[in-house]
This record gives sequence, C-alpha cells and structure tokens, in this order.
Amino acid sequence: MPSVTFEHVRKTFGDATVVEDFDLGVADGELLVLVGGSGSGKSTILRMVAGLEEVTSGTIRIDQRDVTALLPRERDVAMVFQDYGLYPHMTVRENLSLGLRLRKIPAQEISRRVTWAAEMLGLEALLDRKPKQLSGGQRQRVAMGRAMVREPKVFLFDEPLSNLDAGLRAQMRIEIGGLQRRLNTTTIYVTHDQVEAMTLGDRIVVLADGRIQQVGRPIDLYRAPINRFVAGFIGTPPMNFVEGGLRGDNGQVIFIAEGISIRLPSAKTAKATVAEPLTLGIRPEDLRVEFREDASGATGPPDEALTGRVVLVERLGGTSHVHFDLGAGSGRMMASASNDHLPEVGEAITVRVLTDRIHLFGTDGSAISN
Amino acid sequence: MKLLRRIALYTGLAIAAITFIYPFLWMASSTFKLPAEVGSLALIPHDPTLDNYRTMWARAPFGRALLNSTFVATTITLTVLVFGSMTAYAMARLNFRGRPLLNAATMAVLMVPGQLTLIPLYTLIVQLGLIDTYTALILPYLFNATAILMLRQFFLQIPQSLIDSARMDGMSELRILFTIFWPLSKPVLSIVAIFTFMGAWNEVLWPLLVVRDQQVMTLPQLLTVFALGGGAGTVGVSLASAMVLVVPVVVAYMFLQRNFIESMAGSGIKG
Amino acid sequence: MRAEQKPGSLMAAPYAAYLLVFAVYPIAFALVLVFLQWDLVTAPSFAGTDNVRLLLHDGRFWRAVINIFVFLTIHVPLQIVTALALALALNRPLAGRSFWRAAFFLPVVISGAVVAILWSNLYATDVGLINKLLVKIGLSPVPWLTDPRTAMPAIAVMVTWKNVGFYVIIYLAGLQYIPKSCQEAIEIEGASAWQRFRYLTLPSLLPQTILVVTLSTINGFQLFIEPYVMTGGGPLRRTYSVVLYLYNNAFAYQKMGYAATIGVALALIIGIVVFTQRRLIGKAEAL
Repeated sequence: MPSVTFEHVRKTFGDATVVEDFDLGVADGELLVLVGGSGSGKSTILRMVAGLEEVTSGTIRIDQRDVTALLPRERDVAMVFQDYGLYPHMTVRENLSLGLRLRKIPAQEISRRVTWAAEMLGLEALLDRKPKQLSGGQRQRVAMGRAMVREPKVFLFDEPLSNLDAGLRAQMRIEIGGLQRRLNTTTIYVTHDQVEAMTLGDRIVVLADGRIQQVGRPIDLYRAPINRFVAGFIGTPPMNFVEGGLRGDNGQVIFIAEGISIRLPSAKTAKATVAEPLTLGIRPEDLRVEFREDASGATGPPDEALTGRVVLVERLGGTSHVHFDLGAGSGRMMASASNDHLPEVGEAITVRVLTDRIHLFGTDGSAISN
Repeated sequence: MKLLRRIALYTGLAIAAITFIYPFLWMASSTFKLPAEVGSLALIPHDPTLDNYRTMWARAPFGRALLNSTFVATTITLTVLVFGSMTAYAMARLNFRGRPLLNAATMAVLMVPGQLTLIPLYTLIVQLGLIDTYTALILPYLFNATAILMLRQFFLQIPQSLIDSARMDGMSELRILFTIFWPLSKPVLSIVAIFTFMGAWNEVLWPLLVVRDQQVMTLPQLLTVFALGGGAGTVGVSLASAMVLVVPVVVAYMFLQRNFIESMAGSGIKG
Repeated sequence: MRAEQKPGSLMAAPYAAYLLVFAVYPIAFALVLVFLQWDLVTAPSFAGTDNVRLLLHDGRFWRAVINIFVFLTIHVPLQIVTALALALALNRPLAGRSFWRAAFFLPVVISGAVVAILWSNLYATDVGLINKLLVKIGLSPVPWLTDPRTAMPAIAVMVTWKNVGFYVIIYLAGLQYIPKSCQEAIEIEGASAWQRFRYLTLPSLLPQTILVVTLSTINGFQLFIEPYVMTGGGPLRRTYSVVLYLYNNAFAYQKMGYAATIGVALALIIGIVVFTQRRLIGKAEAL
C-alpha cells in the first residue's frame, strides 16, 4: 500500500501551468527524489504535499487519507527547508521541542525524543545554543532533528544541502541516506543536483517544465534513459550528443554525421528509420581512447571508431577527461581515460565506441534505441 | 471561512482608516460651516461659506506666515543638503585630523535631548540681538546630525574608482561631490530633503521662544498663537487657520506618500 | 596640516564650528546656568546650588514628572498594541495596501499644533465630536479635557493616534525580516494562528518593540505643544508637562537659570528611564 499518492495533481499560477498531471505512488519507507532544473516544478510538488501550496486539481493522499484540502498542521508531515527555517530566538532544544510542545505531548516524552534525536545527530553538546552560534552543517542537523522528533508519516526535504559547501554536502548526503534507512520513514527529497539524486534515491523522478520525464531506479535512468533530456541530465560527466542519420549499407546500419561513420548493432536500430535525422548519444565512459602508435595492433574494427584531435585534457585524479574535436565540424566530444596513458593536446587520436552502449534519439527527443 | 476572515479584516481596516482620516475631513468641512452648524457631524455643510477664511485672513497675517514658513523651511532644507553633504563627503571619503572625533561627536549629539540645549541657545540668541529675525529661526538648524549620518552612510558605498578618476582629471573635491556624488545620491537626498523640510515646517517650540513679532512668525506658530490668543473667536475660524498649514502638506503627501513614509520612518529608525 | 588633509579639513570645518557653537557650548553653558540666576535683562548672578535645591522641592516640577509618567503608562502600551495590530493586518497581500498605509501614516506628517487644535475641538465637552457620538449611542458626554482624571489620558490617546503610523512602518519592516521558512516551519509543526504569533512573530519583533518603547518614551518626555494648546497645563496642573514648565520659566517667568536646571534634570531623567527600560527588556528577553 503506497504511503503517498499523487492522483493527477496539477498546479497553475494564473495562466502558467507549473505542474502537469503528476501521477505517482510513493512506497512506504521509500526515499523518492524529485530532481530537475529551476522551474521544473519539483519544489511546488513538495510544497503541495506539505500543504504550503494549494492543489489546482487532483488529489494527494497520505496513507490513503485525502489530505488535499487539509492545513499543513493536520497532515502529519515534517519538512526540512533549504535555509533550515530554525527559530532564531530559541535554543536548539527549544527548536527541536516546539512542535511537540504545541501538540501538548507530555514533557517526559518530549525529553525522550529530543535526547534520542540529539544523540542520533550528534547534537548533544549544542542543545543550549542558539542557531546563530551554529555552523551550516550543524543547523542542517537541527532542522532534521526537528523533523525527526515529530515522528511524522512523511519527511519532506527541500534542497537541504544547497547551502552547504561541496565537501560538507558529500558527507551530509551519506548521513541523510543512512538516517532515512534507519528510520524507514517515507521521504520525498527535492534537489537540482543529479549526483545527490543518484546516490540517495530509491527511485528518482526527473522533472522538466512541470512534467515527469522519467521515473525509475537510478541505475535504470542511467542505463535506459527514456529521452534526450534524461540522458543528458543523469550521469557525470554528461553524455555526448551528435546529430546525424542512419544509412543502410549491405545489411548493416551505419550512423553518419560529419566526419563520423559508425556501424551500429541491429538491436539498437530496430526501431529507427533510415535517412531520418536523429541524435546519437554516448557517455564519455563508453568511449575508449586509442593511440595512432597502436593502430597496427588495432583492438577493434575501424568502423566502430571516431577520429579526432585532442583539444583539452582535464586531469582529475582518478580518471581524466579528454576533449577532442571530430574531423569536419561535427563538434566536440569527451572521452574518459585512465591516467596511465593520456594523449597530449593537439595529438590525433582514435576513439573506440562501445556500440552496444549507444543511445539513439528521434527528433522529438524520445529514445528509440532501447 | 476564509472569505469571512477577509471581510472582517477589511472591515476592521476600514473602520481604523476612517478614524484616521475622518477627523481631517470633519475639520476641512467645518471650516466651510457657519458657527451654528460647526458642531455637527455632517461632512457637507448646509450653507457653505467662506466667512471663516475671510475672518482668519483678516485677523492675522497668515499669508505672511505662509511665506515665512516656506522661506525658513526651504532655506534650512537647502543648507542641510548642501552643507550636510559637504560634511558627509569629508567624513566619508576624505582624511583629516579629528575625523573620528567628529564622527563620535555627531552620534553623541543625537543622544542629547533638545530640551537641554534649548535655554542656552535661547540666551545666545538674545545676547546676539537676533530675537525676531529669520536668522534665529534658521541658524540652529543649519546642520542636521541625522542627515549627515545618513548621507555619510550612503557616500561610503560609492566606489573609490569614481573619485580616483575624477581626481586624476583634476577635479576639486567640491566638484566631485556635486557633479558625481549628488546625481548618484538622489534617493537619499530626497529622503533627507523630505524629513528636513517637514521637521522645519512643523517646528513650533523654537519659534515660540525666539519670535514675538507676528510678521516674522512661522505658520504653525501663528496658528497656535491665534488659536490660543482668542483671536479666532469661533471654532470655524481657528480650524480654518489650521487648514492653511495642513493643506499644502496633505497635497504634497498625496503625491509623494511613498517618499514621505520612506523618509520619515527611515530617519526615525536610524535616529 | 598636510596637503592631502586640506580639502577634508576645509569641508568639515563649518560643521565642526557649528557643533562647537550649537552643541558643545550650549551643553556646557546649560550646566553653568544651573548655578546662575538670570533674567536676561540684568546681569547674571551666582546662585550656588539654589536652583538645584529649589528643583528638588518644587512641587510643580515633580507634578509635571508624574504627569509624564501617567502619560507614558497609557501611551506606550497602547502604542505597541495598536501599531502591532495594524502592522499585522497590513502585512499580507491586500487590495489597496498603499492606500491603507498612507491613511495611517497621514497624522504623522501633520503638525503637532494642528493635531492639538483639531483634537481640542473633538474633545470639547459640549460641541465636541466625540461626545456627540457618545450621546448618539446613548452614553453620557465626558468632560475630557476639563476633568483632571481624564485630561492626560485623553492627550495620551491623541498622541498615540498621531504617531501610530510611524510605528506601524517600523513593525512592518520587522515583519519582513521573519524568514518565510520559519513561518512555514511553524505552520507545519502544528501552530495555530495565536501560537504562531506568540512563539515566532512576537519574539522576532523584540528589537522593534524596544525601539517603539524607547522612541515613544523619549517623545513622551518631550511633550509640549499638546498641553500648551489644549489645556495650558490644567486642569489642576494634571497635564502640565516638564517641557511646558521649562518653557514658562524661560519665556514667562524669565528665570533662565532655573529653566536650564529643569532642562538638565529632564535630560538626566530621560537618560535614566531609557537606560532602565533597555536593561529590563534585555532581562525579559533572556528569560
């Protein structure tokens, strides 16, 4: 039985439709991530669950109960805000306990829950401090603690890590994930950062312009993106795209673009139409750099390779990124390479394409290769 | 439910707003009423008359007082703006010995209640033989500490590069102030102008001390003297004299109310 | 003086001169005047501590001080409550918001003398508007300005009316600073409207409330034109303000030394009261 249900939820502001037909069920105990750029509608959806925005049409249910018309305080949800929303004039202890005091929960129980949350989040030493005396990471934890002590049906996170620096963000990501698993509370988590989405989410919802682009497990979104937007959004470094078309040649199907000619496996081209323009997508990690010197002991057929000239080599520590220009104006692509053998800028290279990992997208953006 | 609350809110606000506006409307309409009718609640007079205004105008030099007030308030505003920005510029962007002291003194001045310096200033004016002069009305207000601090705060934020390039072009500091800083400072200058003008226009205690001659009195002062001194005779006439003081302000207020609010509230918060 | 300091010194010199003449000298001379007797016509004579001793035993002076405290006891709480209530009402998307704001702020820009004259007429026992309204709804008229028990309260209400717009703006500014996320968080936490006010809004507005208290207290001690115009200090000296007494001593009785003494005493009293207020509020905040 799903914990949170969205039934054809729609939101308009005047003439603009901000959320289009959001229809989804969130499983009990699941961590669902809503990810997208600004204006994608992700925060609006979250706020509709909280009751901070009105639903224009559709229904939201929590545990089967229709909450669409209920006030925020009647919904039994708790929210962690991007700027934490801590009460500046109260101590950490008071911040944590206010919600419980408002609900007339007995003092002993309040004390037990506050202590429990403080221990779990490492806040014991900070209970008598005020928010302005805390660091960003500490404030973030207090905000989470405040949500936890309420023991709500749903946790709502609104880009909680956006105001933290990169190192802290990575660390908090892991902590939040671990925490959620321990508490097993249904969680809806909004972020614009796809790395956060990929690492935290049990399932991810990719949103753009108020519409669901794709819903699925991280690995499914990575391997089988349903359209060009999702393909380009998910995965670091981002996927390479080339515009071109297919041509039949002796029973083989070849992808042609300026300076590119690649033979594709039939499994990928089954749904494609020859001579129609389409986009080829290939992730940098699925391109292998070979070197002219090794051409004699070629590792693969030349019709599954690209040739180009190196423009930039980004050395990043573990792997590096090799940016190269394709022959005659087909643009630039990026390949991942290990640090063992890196080309120089200006060098001519051959790049092997792992053709069973390519994606093809039609003119409307949808994937036709899966 | 929500609709009910909205109606209650607007009703409450309307009632409150009426209590703030109605007295002035009543005052205005009373000035057009005959003595018998003055006490009535009605806003439209039965027999409107200009008698009250004629009487008031004849009995005391209100036209003169209006000119006096305008002259005094305008002069004070101009000197505060000009000399005030000179001082603020020096305090913000120029170095001179004693700058921190001047700074501290300016802020200290704000702490001192005016009543402390009232009598010594009065004796000074008397000793200098400046009773019944415009000088006496203007002199103590030539500089305004609140204005200087506000201007200084604003001037601190103008980029040094503007000053540097101007200096390299050979501009004197005064020219820099008036040709570069002033155009950039329009918002704060207008705020200072408004609260200085309004303060000077409404000031009544100081004129009551240093001016006895009706020809030199400011408008609020003449109004007070007139209303208290029995010169008014009837309510209608004394209210008519009040109208002379109020109408220009209300007209200006209706057009500039945002500026008024920003100015007077802003100066109060800082002061 | 070094060359680069010259323009600064020149530009700041007029103000420095002004401060010396109109700030430093008067303050210093005020303290000197305390020990003098002077009627401005004949030469001043040394009076020792006469003025001070006179002041300490001067019934009129202390009556005036008590009057001001009566005024403040009514004015300050009333000011806080009305300004806060109006600010809360205005702090939401309203039709005609700038109109409402302008309406409440109007009396602030009007001269105190005009307001005093206007309300003299409103408070007038027989022909005054307020009594006429009371009679209309079946109550008996009140001799607002002639009854010693109601005169100062009446003035206090009037001054509150005059200034409330100013403090509404201050509270409105303070309300803007309450982070939206805090407001939303407390809603989600389960607070009713009253609880939101008590646990979030009111504590967040503490700095503004302190400002309101301080400014309206200082304003109250400086009360002059209202009693001067409306009651002349009566009835039974119940509206006699300290500044009015100071003015009369200078202008009417020609006693400069004594007037200056009153001025110094007033400055001291204001300083002590404001200082105490801030300490008390600071302690209340810590609770």
